[in-house]
Amino acid sequence: MSDTSERITLSVNGISQEVTTAPSRSLLEVLREDLALTGAKEGCGVGVCGACSVLVDGKLMSSCIVPVGMVQGRAVTTVEGLAAEDGTLTPVQTAFMECGGFQCGICTPGQVVAATALLRECPDPAAEEVREWMTGNLCRCTGYYSIVAAVLQAAKAGQGESD
Amino acid sequence: MTTNLPFAIPEVRHEGPLKVTGHARYTADHALPGQLHAACLGSGVAHARIVRIDTTAAEQVPGVRAVLTAADIGDVRYGRQLRDMPVLASDRVRFMGQRVAAVAADTRQAAEEAVRLIDVEYEELPTLLDPRLATTPDAPVLHPEAEAYRLVQGARHAPAHPNIQGELVVGAGAEELAAAFGRADHVFEHTFRTPRQHQGYIEPHAAIVWFDDDVCHVISTNKAPFGLRQQMAAATGHPVDKIVVYNKFIGGDFGGKGFSLDEYVCFYLARETGRPVRSIMSYLEDLSSTAPRHATELTLRTGVTRDGTFVAHSAEVLFDGGAYGAAKANAHLVPHGGVDTMSAYSVPATHHRLTAVYTNAAPGGHMRAPGDVQAIFAGESHVDMIASELGIDPVELRRKNLAGGKTEGQDPSETAAVIDQVLLRAADGIDWSGVRSPGRGVGVALYRRKGGTGRGGVVMRALSPDRIQVITGAADQGGGTVTMIARVAAATMGIPERQVEVVQQPTAEALFDSGAGASRVTRVLGEATRLAATELSRLIAEPGAVFPVEVAQEVVAPADEDCGAYGALAVEVEVDEETGQIRVVEAVLAADTGTVISPLAHRGQLEGGFVYGLGGALMEELPVEGGQIMCGTLGDYKLPTSPDVPPLRIVSVAGESGTGPYGAKAVGEFGNLGVAPAIANAVARASGVRLQQLPLSAEAVHARLRQTGPESAPPREPGG
Repeated sequence: MSDTSERITLSVNGISQEVTTAPSRSLLEVLREDLALTGAKEGCGVGVCGACSVLVDGKLMSSCIVPVGMVQGRAVTTVEGLAAEDGTLTPVQTAFMECGGFQCGICTPGQVVAATALLRECPDPAAEEVREWMTGNLCRCTGYYSIVAAVLQAAKAGQGESD
Repeated sequence: MTTNLPFAIPEVRHEGPLKVTGHARYTADHALPGQLHAACLGSGVAHARIVRIDTTAAEQVPGVRAVLTAADIGDVRYGRQLRDMPVLASDRVRFMGQRVAAVAADTRQAAEEAVRLIDVEYEELPTLLDPRLATTPDAPVLHPEAEAYRLVQGARHAPAHPNIQGELVVGAGAEELAAAFGRADHVFEHTFRTPRQHQGYIEPHAAIVWFDDDVCHVISTNKAPFGLRQQMAAATGHPVDKIVVYNKFIGGDFGGKGFSLDEYVCFYLARETGRPVRSIMSYLEDLSSTAPRHATELTLRTGVTRDGTFVAHSAEVLFDGGAYGAAKANAHLVPHGGVDTMSAYSVPATHHRLTAVYTNAAPGGHMRAPGDVQAIFAGESHVDMIASELGIDPVELRRKNLAGGKTEGQDPSETAAVIDQVLLRAADGIDWSGVRSPGRGVGVALYRRKGGTGRGGVVMRALSPDRIQVITGAADQGGGTVTMIARVAAATMGIPERQVEVVQQPTAEALFDSGAGASRVTRVLGEATRLAATELSRLIAEPGAVFPVEVAQEVVAPADEDCGAYGALAVEVEVDEETGQIRVVEAVLAADTGTVISPLAHRGQLEGGFVYGLGGALMEELPVEGGQIMCGTLGDYKLPTSPDVPPLRIVSVAGESGTGPYGAKAVGEFGNLGVAPAIANAVARASGVRLQQLPLSAEAVHARLRQTGPESAPPREPGG
């Protein structure tokens, strides 16, 4: 990729960052390679598996298909930015632990981010709504039962996360 | 011994906090100082002689540090057992996607650009794509040099034809079998086909290799670090004790992560450049060049008496082995689960011939219960077809033939009683005899899965009476190895689990382990932990014990150890007679899976296994046309998503004790086995359409309903 580098500023997990890079590079690659935030994973690379899920201005996105130039001046939240600074887990993270909502864990950052986005938008979803919302996050290990249970438990526990 | 064990309390995964916060570091998450990025050129043709490779332009790309072909490294062959796969193709390519050249560069972009500039001239050769033609007189011979191929360990049994990768023949001799068939009132023969399927892990293969003097260090997605070390040593000639493998978190395996490709490429690139070299496959590369489940054709023949007793059974199982046998982990080079066509039944005379042949497709590999999935789909469909022909209820036909239940003049054994319970609990759970509306039907599948052989060990160390370390060289592919070890150690020593720390160490600092495969981890490492913990408890209780106290314990579960778990899956389906769409309404899985060490992981394996089987039954297929895969992304290769998943009930049946710690049994390759045949059987009973090929698609049902109408539909039985 040989397009000209640009200076791009963005906020990542509340910290202002500046990167000089080709704006067509994926946000995922910039997060992982330039900012050493490897929580978001590259799975399919074409925006269908959800392992790279992040929030951009609070909106759920697949960062592998978001050109970094698009997030100039915007606020990105990755899985690393969810837990409190002292390491206290969010209700979503705790629920994934307690319900067995992961096994290999490669899709888990994406699942946790997606579930967090859902509960911000819809704090008390029905099981069917959870299943529909989580369609964009593939999990090959769990069969989804424990993920859906975790999201419902997190909803019951209050809210996904308080900003 | 098993009373008062704390296993009923759900576990807290030790690595859980790392996984839910994004801090668990998988292979692709590592970045070493000065590391280069690797990219490989895959063959664009399925079968060809390489005439010329020109890398001049690639070498000129800024940032490129090395461009390698077979001319640089030689004809280096590797494999899990059979070393037939070249690191880089020398004279020939045998499948589309096979590595021809490799580049290391400062950036991934530079490496990829250089790969695009490599010019290869091919002279195309006739392809062999249909495994049924592999041993015909006109078939091209894919490996003229096959006789020179070596196994990693031991000698290779020379195959009868150069296009045969491997063969396994077991069971009764020809005369005995013929005599047994002679006692049958009816002989039924049916043929089934299953497609090539990809494991579908979300983490593509990745590796980082670097040298520190003459020591080769490897971080990779391989789930069997000691196996990888041995295979790399055998291929490259680098001493095995100078290769250190660090694998820890594996982002999904399902059989596919036992086979490595680019570790070898990175080895040579790192040696050439003196820098760490990292390779991360794109999902397209993973779909096109790693080792999917073998496409299979199975012809089953069963002799049955008038009253429905099975008297003879034979199976011809043909596996499409792809271009190389390198991905298979056993020395006979066939997916050995193919012998399990009648795994839950007593049949006096059986005969199985399993054959894997070379074709011009990606190498056939292991995928969650390799061979068993194909065999049980065929076998359990076959049993229902026999039931239908004889007019016997499918559950009753199964009950008549249960394994362990046919000893002459004796009552059914304990085994038969357990299998009977498993079957009945599944059937009752789905309301087998209930009245159903048109378009709905129930189906069942019954099976046995053998599990858990291999070798592994742990070192246990008491730093003080209340601080215990367990050192293992095992990678955790998601099954929960670390937590399982901690729970067994704590339970055995009678201490709180928080006092046990499990440390995953590289191959150089841990005892040998066969790897996370063949459902062996709990059986082998769990039992090693139990034995080590027992001894450690004894040692630290001795007066004057001096800390640290250390115990090393290895366990070998021999290959002929015969510990199995029985499962029955019953499903209710609804078939849309307009569109052919199959909807699974509900499923019940009954299982005798022994003592449960980690309840969440255990349930997770059964639930996840069921959905894995659901994908394999209804949607997953990696078709190859003219040597080219027709699904290039996870958008085209369909996997189940959360709304696709029906309600599942799991019923536990108390059966015989397992050979794992405290009577545990293997469940890793268990929950997926009955799904395809149970659904196929339910579809037949709901719609009259009998599908003998996977996936069980709406298109297939629709075509059959349109072409022939519901053909020779069995009379709808109660509950059907």
